Amino acid sequence: MNSRVIQTLILKDWRLHRTQILISLLAGVVSLALLQVKGETAFLVGSVWFFIALIVLGCMVPVSNVINERKKQNLAFLMSLPISALQYAISKMASTLGLFLMPWGVLVIAASTFVLSRGDIPKGIVPLMFILFGLPLVGFCLVAGAALVSESEGWTVAATIVSNSSYGLIWYFIIRNPAINGDLKSPVAVWSPPVLTILAEEAAAVALILGLTLYVQSRKREFV
Amino acid sequence: MSDLAIEFDGVGKTYPFFTLDHIHLRVPHGQIMGLIGPNGAGKSTTIRILMGLVQQDCGEVRVLGRRMPAEQIAAKWDIGFASEDMRLYEGMTIAWHMDFIRSIYPNWDAPYAQLLLKRFGLRAEQKIKGLSHGQRVKATLLLVLARRPRLLVLDEPTTGLDPVARHEVLKELTAVMTDEGRSILFSSHNTQDVEQISDQITFIDRGRIIDSMDKEGYLDRWRRLRLEVPLGIALPALPGIIAIRQDGRLAVATANAFAPDMANAYESTGARVRSIETMTLEEIFVANVEHSREQEVGA
Repeated sequence: MNSRVIQTLILKDWRLHRTQILISLLAGVVSLALLQVKGETAFLVGSVWFFIALIVLGCMVPVSNVINERKKQNLAFLMSLPISALQYAISKMASTLGLFLMPWGVLVIAASTFVLSRGDIPKGIVPLMFILFGLPLVGFCLVAGAALVSESEGWTVAATIVSNSSYGLIWYFIIRNPAINGDLKSPVAVWSPPVLTILAEEAAAVALILGLTLYVQSRKREFV
Repeated sequence: MSDLAIEFDGVGKTYPFFTLDHIHLRVPHGQIMGLIGPNGAGKSTTIRILMGLVQQDCGEVRVLGRRMPAEQIAAKWDIGFASEDMRLYEGMTIAWHMDFIRSIYPNWDAPYAQLLLKRFGLRAEQKIKGLSHGQRVKATLLLVLARRPRLLVLDEPTTGLDPVARHEVLKELTAVMTDEGRSILFSSHNTQDVEQISDQITFIDRGRIIDSMDKEGYLDRWRRLRLEVPLGIALPALPGIIAIRQDGRLAVATANAFAPDMANAYESTGARVRSIETMTLEEIFVANVEHSREQEVGA
């Protein structure tokens, strides 16, 4: 019976945040449209906007879905419902993840389709693209984990700063990695061991952050 | 099944600057218990433990026969909880909230919800952010009452309401109790509200329950004796007298277990009893808190 309550809470979050999600999707679609415009500048601007849309989405969803619920004192209302603290945490994690993954997934598929369909773009760029797509996902998990565990605006902002300031540095090291940039102009995607290692590290980071978040949530003794 | 809707046995919770000190509390089914205490007394902590929102460090809590917080999910199906610091979603309408609660509670009483909308002067299409404080409280109560809970737990529900809104809310709570199976725990620092609707009253101060009994018991047992004391006469410390304030020849003795022979006992010392007055619940509350704090300092 209680899985129905968890589902209701997840749907509630989706209804509350659907406008935000549509705006993020729209921003992503506009940036993809820019990629269609001929010329290097448009491609560069479109790519940057695309990643900015993903990064902003990753910060915005945890703040509006987790922090605002506590800040605006809605939490007591929800916790009065027939649900335990852990079930609330599970519903919140699921809705937060879904609110990010849905637009992220749509935009990643759209961008991949675009790159794969363009004959003038070397397919050697695809592994790098997937590594770069994974970074906003890791950043989102970090911010969402901080928001869920701390329920504090301050800690969430701190996690956002750490996450956002790391992108430039990580991009720099990834792009300078000869095992990755050596294959960028290849006509086919090269899934070399360094590429697969980085992708595995991203997946492990996501699993670790989410697992830790759920573990800490399950041990909480106070919820309002 | 137990006759008790709420049962606290030696429940304690320690924070850095506050301790809820092994409290015992019992609310029988079908009763309205008023929990009165000054700000910071522990009312909200008690209620949060009761709702499973905060886990006690020691002691046992049973609500509707369920152990809290372990069985909170089962218990919460039958509990309606509203607190002064609870807020609905500002950007959404009352109707949206009604749909949300209805989708969770199979017992949602739609005709009663419509009736409450009318009684409270609310419109379903109103957004929460456009409501006054009183309307927000009423909207929250509507969402709680239309679930038809067996137990209502209300933490300072009338705080900040104007007299008309307070009257409407209290009238509805009294109406809810026409169903004898229902129980209410109602916390407030406003003794008038509690006096108006409660059967039982518990005073709490500094994390300790200082008194708990039925409302009539307080009103019967507490008296203020105004005395005229000739010079040179010392008033005896009678059992049941918790405080004597003397200013010159006039003295006021406060009794928490009044007996008619107290007047004779004072008169036999040479003092004259000028009047014996009943006390309001607010006066009883203040005297009780002062007495408890004096005892605490003395200890």
